Amino acid sequence: MLNDSSTIGKEPVIKCESVYKIFGNNAAKLLANASGPISAEEFQKAGCIIGVNNASFEINKGEMLVVMGLSGSGKSTLLRCISRLTDPTSGNIFIDGKNLLEMNSKQLIELRRNKMGMVFQSFALLPHKTVLENIAFPLIIKGLPTDESITKAMEMVELVGLKGRENYFPRELSGGQQQRVGIARSLAVEPDIWFLDEPFSALDPLIRKEMQDEFLRLQDSLHKTIMFVTHDFDEALRLADRIAIMKDGIIEQLDTPDNIVLNPATEYVKKFTEDVPREKVLKIESIMDKYNQSLAGNNTVSKDAIIETVAESILESKENLTVIDSKKNNEPVGILQPSKVIKVLFGK
Amino acid sequence: MFEDIKKSRQKQFLFLFFIFLILYFFVPKNEASYFWRLPPLLKDIPLIFNTLLDNLMFNWFTVPVWDPDWQMYEDKTLFRIITRSISNSVLFFIIFIREIFLGGYQTVSSILGDGITKTFSWLYIPALPWTAVVIGAAIIGYKLEGIRLAIIAGIGFLYVSVFGQWEPSMQTLSLVLFTAPVCFILGLSLGIWGYLSKRVEATLQPILNVAQTMPHFSYLVPIVVLFGVGDHAGSIATIIFATPPMVRLTILGLKKISPEVIESGLMSGCNKFQLLFRVLIPTARRDILIGVNQVIMQCLAMTTIAAFIGAKGLGFNLKVALNSLKIGKAAEIGICVVIIAVVLDKLSLAWANKQKDYFANLGFYQRNRLSIFFIFFTIICSIVAFFASYYFPEGFNYLYLIPFNKGLTVSPILDAFVDWIWNTFFYYLNTFNIFLLTNVLGPMKQAYLNMPVISTFLLFMGAGYIIGGIRSCLIVGSLILFIALSEYWDRALITLYMATFAVSVSAISGIIVGSLCSQNNFASKSILSLCDFFQTFPSFIYLIPVILLFGITDTSVMIAAIVYASVPATRYTVEGLRSVPPSLHDAGSMSGVSKMQRWRLIDLPLALPHIMLGINQTVIFALMMIVLGALIGTEDLGQLIMGSLSRPNGAGIGFTLGIFISFICLAVDNLIRTWSNERKKLLGIE
Amino acid sequence: MVKFFKGFILASVILSFTIFGSIAKAADPIRIPVLNWSSQIVMANVMAQIFEEQGFTAELVPAESASRYEAVRIGDLHVAHETWESTMALPFYEAMDKGGLIDAGSHDLITFEEMGIPNWVIDEGLCPGLPNWEALKSPECAANFATADSGGKGRWLEGPYEWHTDVMPNRLKGLGIDDLWMVKFAGSADALWAELDAAKKEGRGTVIFNWSPNFTDASGFTFIDFPPYFEGCRLENGGSLETTGCGSPKGWLKKAAHIKFPITHPAAYKFYTKMSFTAPQIGLMADLVDNQGMSHADAATQFIADHRDLMDLWMN
Repeated sequence: MLNDSSTIGKEPVIKCESVYKIFGNNAAKLLANASGPISAEEFQKAGCIIGVNNASFEINKGEMLVVMGLSGSGKSTLLRCISRLTDPTSGNIFIDGKNLLEMNSKQLIELRRNKMGMVFQSFALLPHKTVLENIAFPLIIKGLPTDESITKAMEMVELVGLKGRENYFPRELSGGQQQRVGIARSLAVEPDIWFLDEPFSALDPLIRKEMQDEFLRLQDSLHKTIMFVTHDFDEALRLADRIAIMKDGIIEQLDTPDNIVLNPATEYVKKFTEDVPREKVLKIESIMDKYNQSLAGNNTVSKDAIIETVAESILESKENLTVIDSKKNNEPVGILQPSKVIKVLFGK
Repeated sequence: MFEDIKKSRQKQFLFLFFIFLILYFFVPKNEASYFWRLPPLLKDIPLIFNTLLDNLMFNWFTVPVWDPDWQMYEDKTLFRIITRSISNSVLFFIIFIREIFLGGYQTVSSILGDGITKTFSWLYIPALPWTAVVIGAAIIGYKLEGIRLAIIAGIGFLYVSVFGQWEPSMQTLSLVLFTAPVCFILGLSLGIWGYLSKRVEATLQPILNVAQTMPHFSYLVPIVVLFGVGDHAGSIATIIFATPPMVRLTILGLKKISPEVIESGLMSGCNKFQLLFRVLIPTARRDILIGVNQVIMQCLAMTTIAAFIGAKGLGFNLKVALNSLKIGKAAEIGICVVIIAVVLDKLSLAWANKQKDYFANLGFYQRNRLSIFFIFFTIICSIVAFFASYYFPEGFNYLYLIPFNKGLTVSPILDAFVDWIWNTFFYYLNTFNIFLLTNVLGPMKQAYLNMPVISTFLLFMGAGYIIGGIRSCLIVGSLILFIALSEYWDRALITLYMATFAVSVSAISGIIVGSLCSQNNFASKSILSLCDFFQTFPSFIYLIPVILLFGITDTSVMIAAIVYASVPATRYTVEGLRSVPPSLHDAGSMSGVSKMQRWRLIDLPLALPHIMLGINQTVIFALMMIVLGALIGTEDLGQLIMGSLSRPNGAGIGFTLGIFISFICLAVDNLIRTWSNERKKLLGIE
Repeated sequence: MVKFFKGFILASVILSFTIFGSIAKAADPIRIPVLNWSSQIVMANVMAQIFEEQGFTAELVPAESASRYEAVRIGDLHVAHETWESTMALPFYEAMDKGGLIDAGSHDLITFEEMGIPNWVIDEGLCPGLPNWEALKSPECAANFATADSGGKGRWLEGPYEWHTDVMPNRLKGLGIDDLWMVKFAGSADALWAELDAAKKEGRGTVIFNWSPNFTDASGFTFIDFPPYFEGCRLENGGSLETTGCGSPKGWLKKAAHIKFPITHPAAYKFYTKMSFTAPQIGLMADLVDNQGMSHADAATQFIADHRDLMDLWMN
């Protein structure tokens, strides 16, 4: 999940062009003479409610975009526009270069059966089916023979660590286990695009942490293109390649976690970043100086390491460190003064 | 003072009652005064209905149809051709199912033509010996759930057979096996349709309300006119009665599905068909299964009534037994009805809950083991029965079918029991009866009849206004107005008087019994089963003992109505009290309340909205039974509804009066439901 | 989704009815109504067995006593074989007037339907002078027949209102005893029999509507002698208040048939018109079931066997 251009394809998998979703009868009239974000007063005047207000962005192959916002910010609506569970009021959405909004229901079903998977906040498991049947459900819907679906589903059961519970009913499982089933189901058809709608919000904090780790582990091996919605800023920081922060339907800022923390674009974003311990977010890259052979020390540190994880060893070595790029043959890219780390840790 | 009244609902009601009394005593009883009685402007409705029916059946849209009997063309209306072809297909299915159990040649002859069975006398469906059916039922029970259900199903059918009710039971069963699935499919389809379209739901709602609250007897005659007499007519009457709860529960269940589940179905790539059948319906299963349970209960509750228009089976035998006052025999038959209900209910539930085993790698024999057993046993039983026919010289083959007068019977014991009650309690009961009639029921009836129409309206519309504002006020008012403008207002008042009495007593006794029983698990369960029993046990059976004890008086009608109408009051009280969250109990206990205080201050207020829905049902049940009470002898709307059965032009009058009864229910329903919903919102239950 | 579903429902409904409406042209058995008393059911079984002997198929259909005439008229039932004059004449003639129902003759017996008292009421001397109606004029007598809801008057328990509407209340007025007696309408025949039992247990007098032949004949029942009936004596037939106190006429027991029955099943119709039972025969039919415990079908078989010559006579 590194924001590294070399592992991410150039072609965007998902591309949104000024997507609007407006609820209310006068939506079309409101949009007819609008360009760019529409102001709150205009909505009130038209008696409409805003879901998504002029969203444009791209998600590249293998990238994880986390959409963060409080309830009512339109983040789930945006996700549902892109999965076309609701139709956007205007704008364009391209999936692998194909216009999603021009697809007929047959094409849409094809797309969902083969390319998309989605995980829901309330798990949304079918109560009458066992764990195994729930996971096999998309495969059976797709038309696979039953025994093949079951075999495949069994693999997924193992993948999410639920072996031995495949014949349980959802009501017999804990919340965390249920969400594992939800994850397994969404992955059963081996989709390229993975939507997660606040998947861990309904879980208690310990389980949530565990599930996040589990999720990172999965993504490490699967490299899906992910759109992940959450209201938890810490979660966003922990998982994201890039974060989009939404408020009242508008994307306030879309950037990498460290950039958001270092350079909040608006007052609103700033409110979130203020309390964030920087060392947990920032990578060495963001506090290193230009490479200068004469100043470089013997000890090295990876430019992608989160400060917190390496702080102790940096502080122990009194001298400057050489920052290297672990993906490019450990080529030195900068130097790091330990004092900068101290600054991040203890002051402004 | 007015400020005061605005705030307190209690004072509003007192004020309303005060005006009511003023009007009651000061409006003169003058037939010409519209304050006393409204003119019967709508008295032609029954006539219009009859004419409509007559025209549909005999005059409008006629097409010439070749009549092979007369050797000429006869004009038949399109409508009649349609209704009769529905009758034909319904009858075909019922007879087909019936002949699987009891044998016969009608199915063969209706498919291959009448002559064929005469030419080939071997061409018929042979009857299954009862032993085979009993084993079959047990095997199905075993397959669906296990040994427990196998025993229930087997013993149930064994009882039916051994007590000599085999033939009528199978006739009833075949009717139910056709009707219940139709109700299920129809109810499910309409429910889904209502769920998908707001407009359809809005149209369905009033139709369901009327179908559920209209007394059965009021639509029997129209059905006979439209569809003829016979098993099909009984089946159609049952469908009208048993489908509405299925529709309602389907809509309810589907509405409860969280949108995320639907989205998850969509994201799994479901097309519309898959979404409906793989996601929506299974997810709403809980409520749909309650619907199935209701369908089965209602179907069997209708057996006796269906017998009025030609359905064969237990209901008809029950009527014959009652006509000669064989109460014990009738009770035995009634128990058969309950048994069939229980077995079908349990089997359908088990079927719906059945799980599939994906990992069992079974051979042909293992997979079809039970079917093979069944075929094997059927053959064995048939052979045994065949040879047994040589051993029973008097012509009854007990291993094939036990005739009704050769089975076991406990009816002498039951009859002795009724006699004992009669002998022991008669004089006490008689004293009570005289007291009740002279001091309570008689004066109450007079008081109702002396009520000027204006004060009745004031009471109903005022209550509507206080509870639900102007909207409820108008709805209730127009429902009552419809009745007031007919010539049956006085009879409606008598119905109202009986309903008031029966409902008050049922409600109070139901709430008390329910509250006592809800105190512990075992008692709750027992009382709920008892409620199930009384809901399916044909109510006709206790009409007769009641007459023996209380004579042909209003008391008898009241007692019968109270027995029947206490069922929902009790059931809803138990359910309501059981669903009060335990945390509130604890909170109560910690504030040091006594058991009685807890019941009065915590449990009852919280459960009251639910209990009120039970009272709502009590009103409907009481009115149904009061109409049935016409079989004892009453002078209310029910008497005319029952009488319409034996009138040549009874369809119109029966139907109209049925609508009246339904409107009374709906008016009460509107008041109670509005109150209960508001209350629920207030308490945050929902 | 709605559209799809509408189409789905519509298609399945149309499909099922076109298929089954056409193939299920049910064989046309002779449909005989069965009511809820024994003699009527046994007679229906006798007819069914004879018809089958003649090569027809017959089906017994449970029905209601009065509404079956409409069913006969439309052709849903083929016959109505026990038609009592006083209680069923009205719907019988009404259906005949509308067309579709024909009169297939009468049974060889005289029926009588009237208010009466069980014999023990006379034996106990609850109303000296009965069965002469004049005895009813005594207030002491009326008091013995009072119930809790009769307002101190003696009670007549009449059958359901539809049977004779206002004949009995008018009769009380005509006889001038309506200040001593009132009429209560029972809801059904069952209620009448229950009242017979209950009154006996209580030792309270009861005047109830009854008919003969009936199963109550066995336990002793006496009809009250009212002033004799004559054509037009009742108010509703143009009589006056003075004459409307008249009693009931001796009546017939008719057989009704659907108008096509003679054509569709000629031999059966011939038997049906000739068929004519006497009071003892009808009594025997009831007796076989009620007292000897036979099933209705067995009783019919037994009855046919015992009256073979009669059956053969009617068949040819």
